[in-house]
Parts: sequence; C-alpha cells; structure tokens
Amino acid sequence: MKQSSHGGSPARELTTWFQLRRWLKARWNLNLLLGVISLTTLAAVWELGKPLGIPLISNVPPPSEVIVAAQDLLTSEQYWQGWYLSLQRITIGFIIAQIIGIPLGLAMAINRMTFDTTFPVIEILRPIPPVAWIPISIVFWPTREMSVIFIVFLGAFWIVLLNTIGGASHIDPSYKRAALSLGSRPNDLFWKIILPATIPSIVTGMAVGMGISWEMVVASEMIAGDTGLGYLLWLSFQINAIGHVIVCMISIGIAGYCSSAIIRAAGEWATPWRRLF
Amino acid sequence: MEHKASIQPVEGGEVKLRNVTKQFGEDVAQTTVIQDCTFEVERGKFTVVIGPSGCGKTTLINVIAGYETPTSGEVVLDGATVSGPGPDRLVVFQETALFPWMTTLNNVMYGPVVQRDSQAADIEKKAHELIELVGLSEFSHKYPIQLSGGMQRRAELARALINNPRVLLMDEPFRGLDAMTRQLMQEYLLRLFEGSGRTILFVTSEIDEAILLADKLLVLSRAPTHVKATITVDLPRPRNLEMLTSRRYAELKSEALSILYQEAVSAFAAGSNAAADLVEAFEQRQSVQGKTDK
Ligand SMILES: Nc1ncnc2c1ncn2[C@@H]1O[C@H](COP(=O)(O)OP(=O)(O)OP(=O)(O)O)[C@@H](O)[C@H]1O
Ligand SMILES: [Mg+2]
Repeated sequence: MKQSSHGGSPARELTTWFQLRRWLKARWNLNLLLGVISLTTLAAVWELGKPLGIPLISNVPPPSEVIVAAQDLLTSEQYWQGWYLSLQRITIGFIIAQIIGIPLGLAMAINRMTFDTTFPVIEILRPIPPVAWIPISIVFWPTREMSVIFIVFLGAFWIVLLNTIGGASHIDPSYKRAALSLGSRPNDLFWKIILPATIPSIVTGMAVGMGISWEMVVASEMIAGDTGLGYLLWLSFQINAIGHVIVCMISIGIAGYCSSAIIRAAGEWATPWRRLF
Repeated sequence: MEHKASIQPVEGGEVKLRNVTKQFGEDVAQTTVIQDCTFEVERGKFTVVIGPSGCGKTTLINVIAGYETPTSGEVVLDGATVSGPGPDRLVVFQETALFPWMTTLNNVMYGPVVQRDSQAADIEKKAHELIELVGLSEFSHKYPIQLSGGMQRRAELARALINNPRVLLMDEPFRGLDAMTRQLMQEYLLRLFEGSGRTILFVTSEIDEAILLADKLLVLSRAPTHVKATITVDLPRPRNLEMLTSRRYAELKSEALSILYQEAVSAFAAGSNAAADLVEAFEQRQSVQGKTDK
C-alpha cells in the first residue's frame, strides 16, 4: 500500500534518476562552455583592441605581446629572485604578526588588565592604513628590507589580533562552565577550552591577513624596495615595458591565491571537528 | 544488566537549599528570579523540578552547580555550603555543552584527565566502559557534530557519570529532541537510574516526563520562583511508559496540572500573555472532561 502511494515503479524511478543525471551532465557542460566562451571573448576583445582601435583597450599590449613578455621575464633571474624575495618578506612579516598577534589577542581577551592597558594604544594606531606607515617605517628601520617586512607585518597583525580577541571573548559560556564543573584548572581552561575554541577565528584572521600582506608587500616594494615582484612591476612600468607589468600582476595574483590556499588547508587541518558531517 | 558494575556506588548526594534568593542587576534594573526557595534533594532519589517556561529553572540549577552565588541563603551539599563549581555536582545542560573540538572519547575522559588523580590507561578503559553503557561505542572517535541530538545527550551523560558526581543536575536535557527520541531517552535514563543509588535533580517543563521520572516532584511558582507544592510520586519502580495510562498517573497529573494552572492564572492576571495559553488549554480540558463524565 505504502509503496504504491509513492506512485513509482522501479523502472520509472530509474528513468527519473537517469533524467536527473542527464540534466546534471548538461548543466556541467553548459557551465564549462560558458566559462570557455567568456574567457575567449575576453582574450579576443583584448587582442583585437589595437587593430580595431577600440578606445582604452588599445592602450594595453595584447595577449600575444604579453606572452612574449612572459617568455622574456620567466627566463630572467631577476624575476625568480623577485618571487623568492617577496615570498620571504611575506613569510617573515606574516609569521611575526602571528607570533605577536595571537598571544596578545588571547591575553587581551582573558585578562582585563592587559586589555585595559593595551586597548587605547591599539585603538589609536589601528585605523591608520599600513601603507601610511611606509615613510615613517623607512625613517625608523635601519634597512629597507626591515621597513618592507614591517609593513607586511602591520597588514597581517591588526586583523589577526582583532579576530583573536573577538573569537576568545565570544566563547559560549556553557563550555567554560562545563569545563569548570569537570574540575579544570586555569591551565586546562586555557589550553583545552579557550585556545581550541578560538582557533576558527584565528584561521579566519590569518586568511584575511594573508591577502592584506600581499597588498602591503607590493605597495611597499614599489615605494621603498629595490627588489621583489612589486618592485619589478614598478620598474617595468617606469621603463614602459607594459607587457612585463601585466606578467608581474598575474604572478602576484597567483602568489596571493596559493598563499591563501595554504592557509585554508592549514586551517582545515587544525580544525578537524569543523569539516566533518 | 551486567555493565551496571562499572558505575561505582556514590556516597552522599543530599542537597539542601535554605532560603535561597537570587537577584540580577542593581537598583532600578534589579529583578528577583528566585525568591526564598527552600527544598531538599534526597540522596538516592530522583527529584524533578517542574515550572513554567522562564520561571527561573536554569538559574536554580546554576546556583546549585555553583556558577552563580545566591544573593542570600545557601546551598548545602552533604553538610557543606557550596561555593563554586565542582565535579561532585555535574550538569547536563539544556543546550549541548560537549566540547566540539574533542571526540566523544576525549569529551568523556576530560574530567578525570584534568583532575589528574588516575592513570591515563585507567581513564581510557573506564571511558570506553561508559561509552559502551550509553551505547556509543561505534562513535567514540567521532566529533559531537557527527552525533545526533540524542547521542550527544548520552555522550554528555557519560561525561558526567565518569566522575561519579554525588548529584547529577539535569536542565531540560531532552528539550529539542523529537517526541520519539525523547521517550526513548526517558526510558534509558530510568534504566540507568533505577538500582544505581544515584541522586538526580532533573528540571523539566513537561508534565508527563516529570511524573514518569520522579520520586518527588517539586512544582515551582512563576518568577520570582519558589517551591509552590511538593508531590510524592508513588508509582512503582521500575517504571515504564505503560504507566502513563495508569489511573494513579492520571491522578498525579491532574494534581500537578491544577497547581500549574493556578500559577498560570495569577501570572495571566499579572500581565503575562505566555500564561494565557496554559489557562485556556486547561479550561478546555476541564470542560471536555466534564462532558465525558456525564
Ligand atoms: N545573568 C542574568 N542576568 C539577568 N537576568 C537573568 C540572568 N539569568 C537569567 N535571568 C533572568 O531570569 C529569568 C529566568 O531565567 P531562566 O533561564 O532561569 O528561566 P528558565 O525557567 O530556565 O527558562 P526556560 O524555560 O527558557 O529554560 C529570566 O527572566 C531571565 O531573563
Ligand atoms: Mg532553562
């Protein structure tokens, strides 16, 4: 009785299943197709901009020239050294930001005294965009390298600090209550409850901070640097090698994307309890 | 039940509330949630507290657990005044408070691990026994997010039981479960309790649940709350769901309902719209019963 009320013989169900699959398959192909179409259109408009005299677009070198420029850059030592140095600056600045930002954020969230003493300073400094720090940073730090790293540090620091404070001070009080009932000492409460409960917010802060770090490394290399991808981009512009500029832009995009992917993967690894169903 | 042996007999568990009052806020914003509340949780008995929604049941549990200090009066556990949370009074919460970042096993082991008075291997063995007792062996390495609502409650029960608390405080632990799971959990809790010698203080707003489980039923008044009436539930043990249809059960239920009704009437008179539903429903019930009696 019950089965017939569902109104489907096995054969009929099978057809629906196939229809569903066919539909999904068609969708998938359509998505792929649309993606390919939009990319080719972009490349075509860009390529034909100059011969057709399309305004604005014709100011930019076409893809064919960019490919030539890429071959040129990708075989130069300066380009790969740029990658290496920019990555190094990102890594150092970003890691120092975590080493200072995470413990400080946790301390501020847990300890009222720490919060009250540090918060006013932070509230005054935080609204200043890291880029605005570049001149003073050049004056302050003995080497250009240090000023660039400092700017990268600032880019990642505020966001991870704020996320850590936010995460650690909004832990569901019932976790702390349960932990206290079960006999936790202050140490256990910190390492086994507060820290793991804050990790998701820290990871979010790190992912956003990584994006800002790349913006900062490019900006500060342009202004204060004499090496790195950002500097190479600016140098290419100054010698009017716009093809090279575009290759540098794409390179920085790829670098930022990969760094974020690494942070995301590390975050998933560190929070196994969140990705399971 | 062979695995009952894994639950050690517990000593003590007698809780006395003496004129407990709890107020929140200061001056104009001050509200009294618990007013001069006195009652006793007898050792080895299942005491159920029932009261209208929002009357202060969770606050009462928080005071007994030691999360909140009473504004006046005291909570006494086996002769000693309670002064903070501790593993002798464990709470199973209204919303699940399993640590999401720990597996079932690590959640259950947490208490003994942080109390540091037994060997890791012993703790793990005991934890596995209790996890088996609550029927979650297959889920001991899963995270809370992977468990259903009922399983989470059972894991939380195991996490409390491993510490041999003198009294188990349960704050509407089955609220939010679907009706069938809820009944199964009630039967399950009865099996766990009966013959174990444990002391349980159980909070609920559901009358059937209250009578099914209780040795003693404390009916709370509306806020500021205190014990309005004490009903001794003399249904025989072991209990089962069939007793819900017995005559004695119906009598007890009527008795409790009419007290709750009086409370709702005065709450309604004092301007609580929430109480109106109960008043109306109760009056309809009376009129329907009146007709069927004739
Ligand atoms: N920390 C607090 N500060 C101020 N008021 C509070 C606090 N805790 C509880 N209250 C108030 O006390 C009253 C009773 O709350 P409580 O949660 O104890 O009721 P309850 O009976 O458990 O309710 P529910 O049926 O929703 O579980 C509510 O009006 C609530 O606003
Ligand atoms: Mg409550």
